[in-house]
Parts: sequence; structure tokens; C-alpha cells
Amino acid sequence: MEEGEKDESEGGVWSWGAGTDGQLGTTILEDEHFPKLLHQPLLSSVSSLACGGAHVIALTSAGKVLSWGRGNSGQLGHGEVVSNALYPKALTSLDDSFITHVAAGWSHSAFVSGLDFSAVSLSAVFLKRISVESDYTGCVFTCGDGSFGQLGHGDYASHSSPVKVSCFIDQHVAKVACGMRHSLVLLKGHCSGADCPGNQVYGFGSGKRGQLGVNIDRVKSVNVPRLVSGFEGEEIVEIAANGDHSAAVSVDGHVYTWGRGFKGFDDAHTPQCLNSTLNFTKIALGWNHALTMSGEGEVYMLGGNHPGVLGDPQNTKSEKHLPFSMHSGDQKRQPKCRTNRLREFVKKDSNMTALEFEDFREANLEKVPGLDGMKITDIASGAEHSFLFSEHGEIKTWGWGEHGQLGLGNTSDQISPVTVSLGYDLNEAASIRVFCGSGFTFALGSGSELPVAVYRMESQESSTYFGIHDALCWKAMCSAPKAPPKFDNYEGM
Amino acid sequence: MSYDDVEIEDMEWNEELQAYTYPCPCGDLFQITKEDLKLGEEIARCPSCSLYITVIYNIEDFLADSDKNRQNKGLQPVAVA
Ligand SMILES: [Zn+2]
Repeated sequence: MEEGEKDESEGGVWSWGAGTDGQLGTTILEDEHFPKLLHQPLLSSVSSLACGGAHVIALTSAGKVLSWGRGNSGQLGHGEVVSNALYPKALTSLDDSFITHVAAGWSHSAFVSGLDFSAVSLSAVFLKRISVESDYTGCVFTCGDGSFGQLGHGDYASHSSPVKVSCFIDQHVAKVACGMRHSLVLLKGHCSGADCPGNQVYGFGSGKRGQLGVNIDRVKSVNVPRLVSGFEGEEIVEIAANGDHSAAVSVDGHVYTWGRGFKGFDDAHTPQCLNSTLNFTKIALGWNHALTMSGEGEVYMLGGNHPGVLGDPQNTKSEKHLPFSMHSGDQKRQPKCRTNRLREFVKKDSNMTALEFEDFREANLEKVPGLDGMKITDIASGAEHSFLFSEHGEIKTWGWGEHGQLGLGNTSDQISPVTVSLGYDLNEAASIRVFCGSGFTFALGSGSELPVAVYRMESQESSTYFGIHDALCWKAMCSAPKAPPKFDNYEGM
Repeated sequence: MSYDDVEIEDMEWNEELQAYTYPCPCGDLFQITKEDLKLGEEIARCPSCSLYITVIYNIEDFLADSDKNRQNKGLQPVAVA
């Protein structure tokens, strides 16, 4: 920053890939094959992004939401159905809420509110009651296409403005994830240990491929949130959804997947624990593959190269493609998590026993090649393309490149990771996060200092000023008791 | 190679496009018209990229559908070329 040059080398928003719905925010309806730095003043305070089929939801450090791209199902949340929006536009209908988390599906969007300003501004006393212990976060709002029940409002209606999901009004929602036609909601865990009910994840929307994990075979769709079964004793800390896949990561580093089966595997109607001794911290889903990252910064892939998109047919047709063993030495190690759910998991037309199958599934988990011990700090996945970010600031990509979504300046596919340049020399302290939509990609850079929003809260007694980094700081500022605020007089938007 | 096999019941009828559609990973939609289906066509293409899917359906359902529509002709004309 002292260089006097330009601090764009640290902060900034870049986009590339499919752009014919305005999803790149470049204000033109064209694909970009190289990362393009966006010059939109509104984007300067963006702290996180969610990229969907062809739209983007941006979250600012002040808890505000912007959206752009395709809006033909109301997924932009601006209260109108538009074919597309070329410029980032604020979602004014959420102005009363401090939004802490956003998600974008194929044609729907979801927002987690941390706090409702219209409710708390009633009194400072009330504000003080917000509990640190209860980890209060507010509700979930959804908008966009609801024709599969993916908005969770008990019907199949679509909405062009965010509507509060009534099921979660008195709950402590942590995160939300949106797939092609379904949604997952993660509640804040309050329990641990063997007697934990484990009821933290809910699913709604299309469930035909098992992606809701509600333990009912062939449930076509549900339009009210249903409990995902199978996490008994596990504290889930991350959820992910894309295509017809769902996934979760537990605090103990276990990865669960359910929904459409990865290459060569049957659909799973309940969460399946990935049998591995590795300690996973994150999972990113595509439409036919998954990336999962270990605490040691290694990245593994499920599903591999998808036939019809990647790799040469001879390779991808072979079931033995890239068998990968994670054992060091020959001895078999004990799986970290229960394997008694495997019976549901029998491969088509095969007489494999559950144990053999388990081995097979593990073999299907391949280590991403060509990283040479590079420590990876973040992963992201589009429908058919993937990104990694290393501890030294390197961005790696591979997958389907027909729309330039790899950012390599061409439309070629890549079968193993190659380096992408944003066209700027990044400061060591700068961090880049990559967010993938179906056929496009965004990179968000932030310098060593995160922007701090100063918030002014009006109350009857006094005005209070807050500096807010994120919801954690927010919680740290709020004091004592246990009961979360109730929104009895607040009936949604 | 076909990107995916998709059952017709998982596709959505799009009035504007007058076609059955399914999401394409590029962000656009795979599309196939009723006329194509009546002719036994099983490939739905995406206008924005090189990918296509194989549509799983029963051709009789569409031939019968067109008979029915011919009978209640007038009020709700189906897109027939
Ligand atoms: Zn396409």
C-alpha cells in the first residue's frame, strides 16, 4: 500500500467465464476468458460472494446484500422479475437485517440474517439482551424459483423478494447452501457427545436423487424444511450443495455426502461418511465431482473427470481410473467413522460386499495431482471446473473451460491444475478467495486489513456506534442472557 | 459424449422457449421441443455451448398428447409447426 501505486493489487473483485446473463458484473453480456477487474464502487465493501447458475449474491462487510446477473425467476430479490441485471444493485428489502451469510442456487437465493435492526432498534436494553452464549443468529430468507419447494415456504411458489422461512424463525441458523433445485440449512450446534441429537441440518426442495437426506427413498420434493438424518453424535460445522449433491463436514473432520452418486455410484438417500483417516475441513461440490481439503492443506477429489466434459473417453470410462490409496504402507487402518450405513450403498449390477465397496469408494477419492506438496488454503468448485488457492497466494484451476471459466485466456479444458494469474502481483499479506458459479468464476481480494464498517444504531435511549468485522465481533459486543429475541410482531417481508 | 441422461419428468416446460428445458452447467438451458420428441429425437442441446443431454422419455406419451390436443383444438393451441 505504501507503494503509492495502486492498492488494487490487494483489494478488488475479478470475474471471468460465462457472461451472457450479466453474471460477471462487467455490464456487458459477454464471456471473459481472462480475469477482469471490476470497477464498480459498490463492490468495494464486498466481503463474500455466492455464485449461482447465472446470478451473483454479494455480501458486504456491513451486512448488506447486492445482486446481479440473471433474474428471470426472481433470484436477484429486487422485487421484480427481470431477464438480467447488468449492475450490482442493493437488496433494499433486507435493509432491516444484518445479513451474515448468503447462498445462490441454479435459480434461487438464500440469506441468513444475524440480527433484525427493526426489532432491536426498539430499545438499547433489548439489544443488550442478545446473548453471546446462545450464538444468536436470525432467520433464513429465500427468493427465486420455488417450483421444487426449494424456497421452503410450504408451497411451490416463486418469490422475487426475499421471504422469511417461517420454520426457522425461532432457530439459530448458521449457514445455508443452495443446489440446483434444493436447499440445506445448518443450525448452530448446541450439543456434543454421544447423546447429541445431531439435528442440525435441514433440507428442502427437490429430493429425487436423495439430496435432501431425509431418509425417504425417492421423495420427489418437499416444500418445508425436513431434518436430515444420520448425523447422530456429530457436530456439523460446514454444509455444501450444488447440482443434485449435498455435503457436510463435522467438527471432527468427517466428510459426509448424499444425493446424486458420484461417477459409477448409486444415489445416496442418507448422508454417507467418507471413509478416511484424514481430517477434512472443507468440501466444495460441482455437478459431478467434489473437492475436499484436509487440515494439512491437501486436496482430494471425488467423482473425477466427468464423461462428456473432461478427459479422454478411454480414461473416464474406466472404473479403475486413477485408483488412489491413502494408506501409507500396506496395513489397513481403521476408519474414523461408522461404516454401518454402507448397505444402502451398493454399486449397480455388482455383487460387491459392503467392505469391498467401501474400499472401492475410498479408491474413488483421488488426490489432486500435480500440486507437489503445495499447501492449499481454500477450494472452490463450479459445475464442471475447480479452483485451489495456495498458502503462497497461487491460484490453480482445472476442468471445463469452454466459456473461459478457468481464466486462462482460452476455452480449453484442463485435466490437471494450472496456475491462473489475476494480472496483478499480489502482496503476500493479501488474501484471495475464489467463488464459482455454474460456468463462471469470481475472485475476491482483500488486503491484510479487513474493511471495518461503522454502524450506527438508533435507539430510544441513545445512539450506539459499532465497528463490525463480522458476526463474531458482533456477538462479542452483545452481552449476557440466554433467550434470543423473538420477532412476534415481525411477519416477514 | 452425452453430458447426462435426464428423464423428461425432470425437465421443465418453458412457455417462452416452447421447449422442455434442463439446466446446463454453462448456465444456459438444454432444450428440446415437443415436435422433436414426437419425431423420436432424444438429444436436447444447449444453444450456448457444445454440451447435450440424452432425454429419457416414452414417445407414445407425446404422440397421444398431440392427438388429445388436436381434439381440444382452439382454446389452447400447442406450438405445432
Ligand atoms: Zn450450455
